[in-house]
Amino acid sequence: MASQDISKKIYSVATAPLWHSGRTLQKNMLQTLLALLPVIAMAVYRYGYDAVEVMAWAGLTAVVTEALVQKIMKQAPSSDDFSALVDGLLFAFLLPATAPVWMVVIGSAIMIILGRMVFGGYGGSPICAPALGWAVLAISWPDFMDLNGMLLKWDLVEPLSELKYFGLDAIASVTPMSLLLGENLGALGASQALMVLVGGVYLLSRGVVRWFIPVSFLAGVIVTGLVYNLIDPQLYASPLFHLLSGSTLLAAFFLMPYPSSSPAWRLPMLLFGFFGGVMVIIIRTYGVYPDGVPFAILLANLCTPLFDLIQPKPFGGR
Amino acid sequence: MMKLRLNTSVEIKDVLQNVPAPASVRIPIQKKHKPVVKKKQIVGRGQVVAENPSKSAYGIGFVHSSIDGIVEDVLPDAIVVGPIPAPKEGEEPVVPARPEPCAELDSLANEELCRKLLELGIDTSRFHASRALIINGLNPEPGVLVSEQLVRDAQDTLKAGLQILERAIKPGTVKLVVANGKQISLHGCTTVNASDVYPATIDPLVVHAATGSERPDNVDVISISALYRVGLVAATKLPLMEAAVSVGEKVYRVPTGMPVQDLLNAAGVEHGPDWKLALNGPMRGEALSDLGVGIPENCTAVTLVRDGLYPSVQPNPCINCGECVLVCPARIQPGMLSRYAEFNMFESTRSQHVEACLECGMCTFVCPANRPVMQYLLLAKKQLAAQDEAVSTCRLQD
Repeated sequence: MASQDISKKIYSVATAPLWHSGRTLQKNMLQTLLALLPVIAMAVYRYGYDAVEVMAWAGLTAVVTEALVQKIMKQAPSSDDFSALVDGLLFAFLLPATAPVWMVVIGSAIMIILGRMVFGGYGGSPICAPALGWAVLAISWPDFMDLNGMLLKWDLVEPLSELKYFGLDAIASVTPMSLLLGENLGALGASQALMVLVGGVYLLSRGVVRWFIPVSFLAGVIVTGLVYNLIDPQLYASPLFHLLSGSTLLAAFFLMPYPSSSPAWRLPMLLFGFFGGVMVIIIRTYGVYPDGVPFAILLANLCTPLFDLIQPKPFGGR
Repeated sequence: MMKLRLNTSVEIKDVLQNVPAPASVRIPIQKKHKPVVKKKQIVGRGQVVAENPSKSAYGIGFVHSSIDGIVEDVLPDAIVVGPIPAPKEGEEPVVPARPEPCAELDSLANEELCRKLLELGIDTSRFHASRALIINGLNPEPGVLVSEQLVRDAQDTLKAGLQILERAIKPGTVKLVVANGKQISLHGCTTVNASDVYPATIDPLVVHAATGSERPDNVDVISISALYRVGLVAATKLPLMEAAVSVGEKVYRVPTGMPVQDLLNAAGVEHGPDWKLALNGPMRGEALSDLGVGIPENCTAVTLVRDGLYPSVQPNPCINCGECVLVCPARIQPGMLSRYAEFNMFESTRSQHVEACLECGMCTFVCPANRPVMQYLLLAKKQLAAQDEAVSTCRLQD
């Protein structure tokens, strides 16, 4: 009897559901790397070997630091999910292309240790690790992080510093098109606005990043920028300038939606993004740093638990 | 990797299929059932093999043999009925006694009729008198075609089932929920169109679609498969002895207890040790380790998935991405709850509304960290139930 023979064979079992959407962390991160490729290409085109060096050291340090700390913490190594590499690259994108290697290495290691591993690893951290790495360096070595000062060998200007220190007239010649194409000085990856936009839209289209945070973040930047611009067009830059300058777009698509540090529900995500966008303009207008984006991200991250308190009623709840 | 659609509504191509009668069956019984046959006893097709000891009209149904045969074994979870051995020389061949059609079905009503249905194998535990009745006509899960197949091919049986239910539980209103774009009517009940995208097809969400309220307490919901079982009993007046089971792209009328192996052979679908199998659909199905298991009467499908087609579940840490929150129809945070359960913080799962979980499995389906999210939630629910029971036992002893 066939059924009796078979009953001696034991089949492998799995818990329900037997189907899976097929999305894994590793695939998401590979998609993100793919989305970062045009930015990398454009950064190398603009800044040459300097950019390669910074990105390579940041990526390498991030992966190695994660592996070492995981060894100490007796965690299973997870370098093969590429999340450390992605974080390292995003961190590099925020730096000036000529940043000294020692600083890149220290920053990248601090980013992994303080931004991720002390919270248990990727996904546990309540703050966006690349933004944290940037903030530590910006406070510790402001001179080496000063985009204008570090990039003197290019005969260009950094629009946000110009706006900060010389007012609106200084950036009159900066066209939106030149901002899009990265024809001004800036952080090595973040200033390649068009390529960041391309990568971000790709991630949105593949569903790796949900639209809620990028859209509301950009809306926050535009609305607040517009309010200031309407108050006094002679004093405050146009919202379009804020949108395309500095690391606004990089933040919108890559840093703000950082999974563990952003809320999960729809309405909190929208509020979180909008709040971040508003903070960008406020810090740029009143703060001491020319580009307030990473600080705006960290501030918004700190408010994530508050936004997450806005919860819908569970199904059938009364 | 295959692109997954979670739409459940399909164009039914084939008619309802029959399978050859199995030589032996392994009829599943539940813990509450009390077997009433002994080893070596000859049973006829339709004879009771296990009873529900409770005298109530509402409960799990009696279990009947689906073939003529001899009881080979009485196990805690099944009764094995094999072929009757050939008579020895000089002996009369044994003629198993089959039960007569139950004529009483036409005359009884209300609770007595419910009790009779229970005795004929119908699970009446979810029936209540004079409530609104909602018939879930949506296919239960993607790849499970049972409901739409039965609506197309078994109209008469369904109608008979509905008529007998009207006498048994006197429902206030009857609504049939079918997929958007389908125009189906069934014995004069109101038809409601609803989304067919899983998890919209699970009972609580279908009730919501039909009534507009969440978890109303005056509504009974019954699937087309369950209605079909009632209809079979009503139409034949014989005990329930078959299930409608979806395998591959066809739906089969399967005798209860038919070994899965025999069904797969009859259906001619590819299978082997490098496949994973489950009873019922791919989202909520119960994994099978053994193809000798019999098909239970409430089974809707046998699902086959090739090993390695999907990433396997691992005890990975949650990465807080919030995908589960976005897909959860119960509007809870499965990821957070799963972490509470992972670290034995069961009281926190209670305060975070784990009881609202509808057990649809979408959280595990989308999890990019491949965590067994739903299993953590099920564990939490089970632990909380056990705690509550322990507490109430203590109170009784005071």
